[in-house]
Amino acid sequence: MSQSTDLSWHQDVEENGSQPPLSLQDVHVSYRTRKGSVQAVRGVTLDLQAGESLALIGESGSGKTTLGLGIVRLLVETAQVSPGKIIYRRDGRELDVLSLAEGPLREFRWRDCAMVFQSALNAFNPVLKVWDQVWDTAKAHRWNNREEVRERFLDLLRFVQLDPDRVIDSYAHELSGGMRQRTLLAISLLLDPQILILDEPTTALDILTQRTIIDLLRRLKEDLHFTMLFISHDLAIAAELADRVATMYAGQVVELGPVGDIFYRPRHPYSLGLIRAVPTVTGGFEELSSIPGSPPDLINLPTGCKFHPRCPFASERCSAEEPGLERVGDNHYAACWHTDAVQEDIERNGLRGKRRA
Amino acid sequence: MTPIIELRNVTKRFGSGRDQVTAVDSISLDIEPGEIVCLVGESGCGKSTTGRMVVGLLPPSEGQILYRGQDIASMEKSEYQQYRRAVQIIHQDPYASLNPTQTVRQMIMTPLLRHQTLGADRNGAGGGRRGRRRDAERRAAELLEIVDLTPVSDFLDKYPHQLSGGQRQRVSVARALTVEPKFIVADEAVSMVDVSIRVSLLNMLYRLKDEFDVTFLFITHDLALAKYFAWEGRITVMYLGRIVEEGPTPRLITDSRHPYTQALLGAVPEADPELAKKKVHIELLSAEIPSLLNLPTGCTFHPRCPYIVPGECDLVVPQLDLIPDGGSVACPVRMSEPGRIV
Ligand SMILES: Nc1ncnc2c1ncn2[C@@H]1O[C@H](COP(=O)(O)OP(=O)(O)OP(=O)(O)O)[C@@H](O)[C@H]1O
Ligand SMILES: Nc1ncnc2c1ncn2[C@@H]1O[C@H](COP(=O)(O)OP(=O)(O)OP(=O)(O)O)[C@@H](O)[C@H]1O
Ligand code: SF4
Ligand code: SF4
Ligand SMILES: [Mg+2]
Ligand SMILES: [Mg+2]
Repeated sequence: MSQSTDLSWHQDVEENGSQPPLSLQDVHVSYRTRKGSVQAVRGVTLDLQAGESLALIGESGSGKTTLGLGIVRLLVETAQVSPGKIIYRRDGRELDVLSLAEGPLREFRWRDCAMVFQSALNAFNPVLKVWDQVWDTAKAHRWNNREEVRERFLDLLRFVQLDPDRVIDSYAHELSGGMRQRTLLAISLLLDPQILILDEPTTALDILTQRTIIDLLRRLKEDLHFTMLFISHDLAIAAELADRVATMYAGQVVELGPVGDIFYRPRHPYSLGLIRAVPTVTGGFEELSSIPGSPPDLINLPTGCKFHPRCPFASERCSAEEPGLERVGDNHYAACWHTDAVQEDIERNGLRGKRRA
Repeated sequence: MTPIIELRNVTKRFGSGRDQVTAVDSISLDIEPGEIVCLVGESGCGKSTTGRMVVGLLPPSEGQILYRGQDIASMEKSEYQQYRRAVQIIHQDPYASLNPTQTVRQMIMTPLLRHQTLGADRNGAGGGRRGRRRDAERRAAELLEIVDLTPVSDFLDKYPHQLSGGQRQRVSVARALTVEPKFIVADEAVSMVDVSIRVSLLNMLYRLKDEFDVTFLFITHDLALAKYFAWEGRITVMYLGRIVEEGPTPRLITDSRHPYTQALLGAVPEADPELAKKKVHIELLSAEIPSLLNLPTGCTFHPRCPYIVPGECDLVVPQLDLIPDGGSVACPVRMSEPGRIV
């Protein structure tokens, strides 16, 4: 299938020059709770380049979803984004996302930066048919040509490889998990956004369904050069789809680099730990190892490097001083005092565990 | 050796009339003591239903389940109680299966004391209530150590909400161990736990096999986990209630024969960019899994199978046939074709 031709959302990479469409500058997000302030995102600085797909990985609670919701300003009221700055650029204009008023914000969310949520079912209105929901969305953006909207949406449904006639008049609960995820993707593309944020796009889907979603996202990436931010606890999503990977731990990006560097030449102990913890299905048996301990309490964070209580490379310095992201290679950054020790460990022991035949 | 668990043509139906579904369709499975058998397959294929029948939580609609050679349906009361103690289940969601109002100590001590009382009745001897409590305390500490909840004193007085997902799952394992089980059905036992700590849970379970001779039926939808946990055991693949392929893990992973197994293995996203590029994906004829309410005739995989032989696959239900390389395959068309995915 390749009827992508008449869909006009190709991203004109050159047009934007070298200016990244999205820049996060020292973004912090905290949640007010009875027990104290949960510091979910602590100083994230990132540029999302035009046409690239960046994967944000890290274990549960590391702040991935919070960061995604922060970008499209859909956080709950108890969340506070400050300090920090989020800059969005398109066609030479520049928006300060955090100071957008309600109207422009709604535009931004659909036309500029659309987010597909972690739980596909919750994103639907249960009492509306898919088409009614799409039509409402279009009208809310003053797109009132019913025929045109319908045509566009039918095209999109075909693009995500769904039977348009079957889906368009269904309720969300009548669709399987994979169909819902694809429908949601089609809806998010309705207003031709420049950036797509996908939160756990394959989590909780069956393997064969995951594969169809991954292949679909790859087409968005390779054929249409969409700018995408993937959020997942699943390293495989990053390996399958990302150009660059950011590893998050305790609300911070602790390593950032090209996908090959993160998977084959990680310099942060946490990235290395994740890689050594995840089995592949192809090939012989591989020893795996866990990261000891459990994720930190975000209300009472450890001193120094937030990973030090779990880190096999930790030294005294680590519990006293917090490292910042430093360059460790071309476009490759890690926040760790002992990146050399990580490199030596990989040289000595191999990247992954011992293989058995 | 007598299998510790044996399923003979076990079928489970739910509902009645037009809404009736056959969730498990005449499956047979022998599990030897000390073995690890993994049950894999997509959502709704009947894995949990099978697991629940094995532990006696659901009666089969047809067929027999034997524990150490004895049909559980015709056991005497005491034998049945012994079987129910020996065969335990660990569920996916440790949050739902732990009582939120009890501390770890209470959760472990209660079954220990009950178990002890039964033992004391059997032996006609007791150590006095205080002695029994002391023994139970000691045993509780031992169990927490076995599941790596150390130092034990940090955990005894905690409630479930004060524990992480991984720690809660360790408590459920410790609780299952209070009755000294010989067989554990682990139903997606590590699926909800973070990747970074999954392996230590799996290694802890694996130790139970080595140190306490526990046999495992390990249920998962994650083939990579199945491969890791059951490398020395077997994998059984289910599709729409039937077993389609089964065999020693290394063979099944590197040389699968059933087109469905191959499709699954090829589809698994790999946490390795080079590998992800290299893998061969089998294109299925349809992405949709049929409904149990309206099952295809013959081989139920035929509407999706790229190797379908019309007039054969859609008419005849394939039987599991042994293959020389180990295990068996329910696909006469492809059973002799080597099946590598890289
Ligand atoms: N509404 C909220 N109120 C208080 N704390 C919250 C709220 N939402 C999230 N948190 C906390 O913020 C932290 C980051 O959560 P977030 O959902 O961003 O993590 P995540 O990396 O997406 O995790 P997961 O992989 O589980 O989706 C967690 O500790 C979480 O408990
Ligand atoms: N108590 C029940 N009543 C009616 N149908 C049931 C019942 N329990 C299970 N089923 C159905 O039987 C089929 C098999 O379910 P089962 O839970 O065994 O699947 P599973 O392989 O464990 O799936 P998952 O991977 O989603 O856990 C499903 O179609 C399910 O809806
Ligand atoms: S700074 Fe120290 S504790 Fe932190 S990751 Fe590096 S070695 Fe480990
Ligand atoms: S029996 Fe036929 S339809 Fe079924 S898996 Fe084999 S080739 Fe495919
Ligand atoms: Mg999340
Ligand atoms: Mg199940």
